[in-house]
Amino acid sequence: MEERSLELRGIGKSFPGVRALDDINFKAEGGKVLALLGENGAGKSTLLKIINGDLHQDEGTVLVDGKEVNFTTPQDAINAGISIIYQERQLLPFMSVMENLFVGDLPKNKFGIIDKGKLRSETQRIIDDFGLPISPDDMVGRLNVAHQQMIEIMKAYRRDSPIIAYDEPTAPLTDTEIEILFKIIRKQKEEGKVILYVSHRLNEIFEICDDIVILKDGKYVKTLHTETTNEKELITAMVGRDIGDTYANLDRNTEFGDVVLELKDLKTPYIHDINITGRRGEIIGLAGLVGAGRTEIARAIFGVDPITGGQLIVDGEEVHFKTPHDAINAGIALCPEDRKYEGLILFRSIKDNISMPVLDKLTFSRFFVNFKAEKELAEEAVQKFDIKTPSIDKVLMELSGGNQQKVILGRWTSSKLTTKILILDEPTKGIDVGTKAEIYQNICNLAKDGLCVILISSELPEVINIADTIYAIHNGHITGTIKREDATEENVLTMAMLD
Amino acid sequence: MTNKESSSSKLKALTSNHLFPLVCLLIAMFVIFSIWSKAVGTNFLQLSTFRNILQSLVVSGFLAIGSGCLLIGGNIDLSESAIGAFGGIILASAILNASLPAGVALIITLVVCAALGMANGLLVTKLRFPSFIATLAMASMVRGVMYVFSSIGTPSGTAANINFQNAFIGFLGTARVGGQNGIPLSVVILIIFFVIFGIMMSRTSFGQKVSLLGGNPIAATLAGIDAQKITIILFMLSGVMGGISGIFNTARLQQGSLLALGTNQFTGLTAAMLGGISFGGGTGGMLGVFIGLCILNTFQIGMSAVGLNTYLVQVFSGVLLLVALAFDFIQRRRAGRL
Repeated sequence: MEERSLELRGIGKSFPGVRALDDINFKAEGGKVLALLGENGAGKSTLLKIINGDLHQDEGTVLVDGKEVNFTTPQDAINAGISIIYQERQLLPFMSVMENLFVGDLPKNKFGIIDKGKLRSETQRIIDDFGLPISPDDMVGRLNVAHQQMIEIMKAYRRDSPIIAYDEPTAPLTDTEIEILFKIIRKQKEEGKVILYVSHRLNEIFEICDDIVILKDGKYVKTLHTETTNEKELITAMVGRDIGDTYANLDRNTEFGDVVLELKDLKTPYIHDINITGRRGEIIGLAGLVGAGRTEIARAIFGVDPITGGQLIVDGEEVHFKTPHDAINAGIALCPEDRKYEGLILFRSIKDNISMPVLDKLTFSRFFVNFKAEKELAEEAVQKFDIKTPSIDKVLMELSGGNQQKVILGRWTSSKLTTKILILDEPTKGIDVGTKAEIYQNICNLAKDGLCVILISSELPEVINIADTIYAIHNGHITGTIKREDATEENVLTMAMLD
Repeated sequence: MTNKESSSSKLKALTSNHLFPLVCLLIAMFVIFSIWSKAVGTNFLQLSTFRNILQSLVVSGFLAIGSGCLLIGGNIDLSESAIGAFGGIILASAILNASLPAGVALIITLVVCAALGMANGLLVTKLRFPSFIATLAMASMVRGVMYVFSSIGTPSGTAANINFQNAFIGFLGTARVGGQNGIPLSVVILIIFFVIFGIMMSRTSFGQKVSLLGGNPIAATLAGIDAQKITIILFMLSGVMGGISGIFNTARLQQGSLLALGTNQFTGLTAAMLGGISFGGGTGGMLGVFIGLCILNTFQIGMSAVGLNTYLVQVFSGVLLLVALAFDFIQRRRAGRL
């Protein structure tokens, strides 16, 4: 059997303002499972997209079986024998299992008509290999998410590609399917295929992988071997970076007031038994990997997701919010993760975006907007947060990400609102370093003003250096709580990654 | 700042206003039709032409107010004219068959129309149907119910127009303000409605919330704007405006007509979009809708003044709608909304 391999040499990729990948070198060999491990934003997804032809590298070369390849579309990658199973399922929900498995490559009879019999028997053969309780004729949209994910895996299996990459394949799976998946991976490994396995679940990596490539901030750190390493060594390799004195110079709040927010065994379909206590002036950090359930905690508090169990207590009283409107009236505010699409109306002015939740309070004769008061409110926010703009009539689209974020901060802390609890979901995402420092100080100032701030961030240093109390979230559960004084990237990441 | 600079910046503000090209278009049409009509020996440029244009605005005008507000809020109502036509039949039947006084008949009509609008609103907010589909279905149902309703008790069992006589309703349809050659009362009422709705959309917190909601429903909801409530109110308003449109149509004819408002829905929506209301919601106002309506009706009356085939008006309206949509598309693209 010829030796299969996938090799990356000096791969670099930049996006505007971000160096996503820098000089990545490693080689994956046939008959081995290679894990890619790194924190959020380490560059794993970008790397997979380059291998798959979704993106093209700025520097470096990709070699398949020792020969340089240049993919411009995902189809090129498939033709070259590469299959990637992405986290986002790419299935046709209204089509059957067999049609999904063979999409783009349906078996035809001599008249050019789809050969249903062959299609069904081939599909049945694959299902039998997997041992799943589904039928070739099942409609994919009716299957549960675990089985849908397995269909995605079957698609790659069906192509029999010599190079297969799994991107967090087990996230929606239960133990039964994980066992099946590992059986399949072992079989593919025996067949001499090249297998890349991206996962945050360390126990899985130890179970199925041979070597582990560690990435950090877009750079290659080292390769470790599962036989000779341990969890502690992996986590140490993933963390640790020079953070400078951004955080050391922060002027922090040190005095906490009364308890203003209590979550008692809070449940939604996405989070389980969440217990959090927040006091006035306290910054609470939610740390965890993407998809761990941090945003879902915010959505539960803000009245977006329905609460199915437990209690949400604001200022000593149990509350039941039906809409964000109710939550805002109770003194809660949310700066959503997707600033541009969930937070702002981009083609409207700073003024409009700030006055949005308090329009009813800016009226005379009950109905008419008091434009002067509206203008003053916006000017107040511009001044308070030092928003860089020539006018409050400038539309949001024309502002930088940092200034956009400040507009949302200004909205929620205006004098017309009595915000007590401010939830910030990824407040510095896509914001340059200088403005980040400003936002950090803004957050500390808001805590000084007596707000209870909940900070959600995928940048670990940010959470552990700004928050007073850090909760680690994993799989919708809180897996640990730690004070800032005791928090290190290592111990927080350990809590956020281990079951 | 010197005088010259200030006047040039005023001029710049005027020309960059999104209504400026529309006003130019309207003026250009007047000039062209005036010259053209002189050339063919008719007279377009006279007072009665203006009056005719305004008179022809009424039925589409009320529809355009309702659907315009809804469009700003990010939804579309294709059932407004059907609801209005049904309202006209209810009004006629209440007076002729039930012998109700005009005031009571009018109130019943408007309540039914508001209820149908509310049904639209509930379908869109609670069941999350796309408004396009929900109101298309509603339009079909309402027109059907109207036929069934009007066939009840007729000798042959077939649907028929309902003719009636009522002094007050007749007055609504035909009265003029300022003597025999004055402005029709219906036009005056339409203009009052435009002013009221114009103020509502641009000056009140409700109007601001509607346009913010249309601009980005997710962001607006997360900023505490009660999207469901506002959307339901807008659909109810749309139903009521359809009803008012149907009432004036019925009042003018003294007849509950089965074919009422057949083409007016299209005119109303075209006027709204022509007047700068984005198909994606969040932009535009009532003044634009009014100017859009004037353009469409000026063209119609101008065409007949110069003796051209008036069917061309429909072609022209379609073309204008496409042009308006193209502009809308370009602007939304520029605003990063597509």
